[in-house]
Amino acid sequence: MAVLVPTAALILWELCSRLAIVSPRYFPAPTTIGWVLADRLAAGDLGSELAVTLTRLAFAFVLAAVPAIPLGLLMGIARPVRDLVEPYLAFIFPVPKITLLPFLLIILGVGEPAFVLTGSSSAFFQIVISTLGGVQTMDPRLLDVGRNYGAHGARLFWKVILPAALPAIFTGLRLGLGLALVTLVAVEFIAAKSGLGHLVFRHWQMLSTPEMYAAFALIGALGLVLTRGLRAVQARVLAWQDEIGV
Amino acid sequence: MKATARWLAEHWIAVASPIALLGLWEWASATGLLRAAFFPRPSTIAAHLGDLTLDGTLWSHTAITLARIGASFALAAGLGVAIGLAMGLWRGLRDGLDPVFAVVYPIPSVLFLPLVSFVVPAGEIALVVTSAVTSFFLIALTTTQGVRQIDRLVVEAALHYGARGRRLFTAVLLPGALPSIFTGLRLGLGFSLIVVVAVEIVSASRGLGALLWLSWQVLKVEDMYATFVVIALLGALLSYGLAALRTRLLPWVPDVGDR
Repeated sequence: MAVLVPTAALILWELCSRLAIVSPRYFPAPTTIGWVLADRLAAGDLGSELAVTLTRLAFAFVLAAVPAIPLGLLMGIARPVRDLVEPYLAFIFPVPKITLLPFLLIILGVGEPAFVLTGSSSAFFQIVISTLGGVQTMDPRLLDVGRNYGAHGARLFWKVILPAALPAIFTGLRLGLGLALVTLVAVEFIAAKSGLGHLVFRHWQMLSTPEMYAAFALIGALGLVLTRGLRAVQARVLAWQDEIGV
Repeated sequence: MKATARWLAEHWIAVASPIALLGLWEWASATGLLRAAFFPRPSTIAAHLGDLTLDGTLWSHTAITLARIGASFALAAGLGVAIGLAMGLWRGLRDGLDPVFAVVYPIPSVLFLPLVSFVVPAGEIALVVTSAVTSFFLIALTTTQGVRQIDRLVVEAALHYGARGRRLFTAVLLPGALPSIFTGLRLGLGFSLIVVVAVEIVSASRGLGALLWLSWQVLKVEDMYATFVVIALLGALLSYGLAALRTRLLPWVPDVGDR
């Protein structure tokens, strides 16, 4: 079934498009899209747009993760820090991060920093919240056992708290990467002049639909590889832990 | 009263820090330390917020955005729960749709706008359908998981007591899946807000997202901040309000998404 249904759907689409049951202008046949995809990849321009999106994603992700993990851990172990930061977290977290884009555009000017930071912000808040959750929901017995065996301060942190929070941190990183990709592609669609998101927008405006679908497929594949890939890594690296969260 | 006082004594920083920050901001942009063109004083923003509320601008844009969120959420919830339940019950359907969902789900909803506008009339309908896409997948996936994670023993017990067909569904499977369904609905509503605002930025002339974007394009910075405050309040209302509502109305239904 897992092979049959998608294949059947593709064949049906192919037939409908070839026989002009649906407008081939708007719904080009999957084989046409496949050829365009292969052609554009071979020509290298699709690859370079992919590279642009991936570079932005890498910057956005690192800029989010590097401050977010220590902040989440600190909030988890020091209540004054948590009280200090939590109001802002609660205020910004439910806001669509794409709305930060116009603010970053006026402050930083139209360009890469504004695009990347908008993508970064969506990952940042997710990673902070997951990390904080990891520390807060750890089994208190672990702390007691650690203390009974004489672990205090830094030792307690490195040997007990951090390992206990690790699965949640990883989940946060995985969700954050997905959110950063989604936000970045949306930013590209709205405001940037390059990247896969912009490619969909441009080919939509020019009604070059096969190219549009090709970019679309590439974004889907990218999302699939990133989410599935990280999940596999997580299962591997943290094999002893059940996954926490969604 | 006493509880409030104790909470304040313990968490005074959580109250003091936003007030201090706003004061600092006010002072910094009044003295020119922060460029008032980019960071207008909080009091100026509040005044603008008041003006835009009084002359009805914000109300009409908010009403439009809310109506769109309502419509797209209803669409996503109806289809999502129905298909999610079906996928949970029939293995063949689940196996067939899983790979499709896996590829389509990570694509940002805004990108579906071109696709949707080929199928349905551009404008309001396309906007609502596009905004429903991600919520639909989310709700369908969580509902499927909800059916799947029902304890095998419970289902077998029900079967032994002769529950079949519709009775098995309404008395065992649906209640069992309810916590996941609620979590899916809550997350889906949050996503509806996100996507409606994003699609409004791209293709609408009214609504909060459009107001934010147009204010940016004509550099009405105070209006941008005022709109942002309204969007943030809406986000808080949708995510925290709904969670509070569930605790109130359905205290026996745990929210599996709470972390």
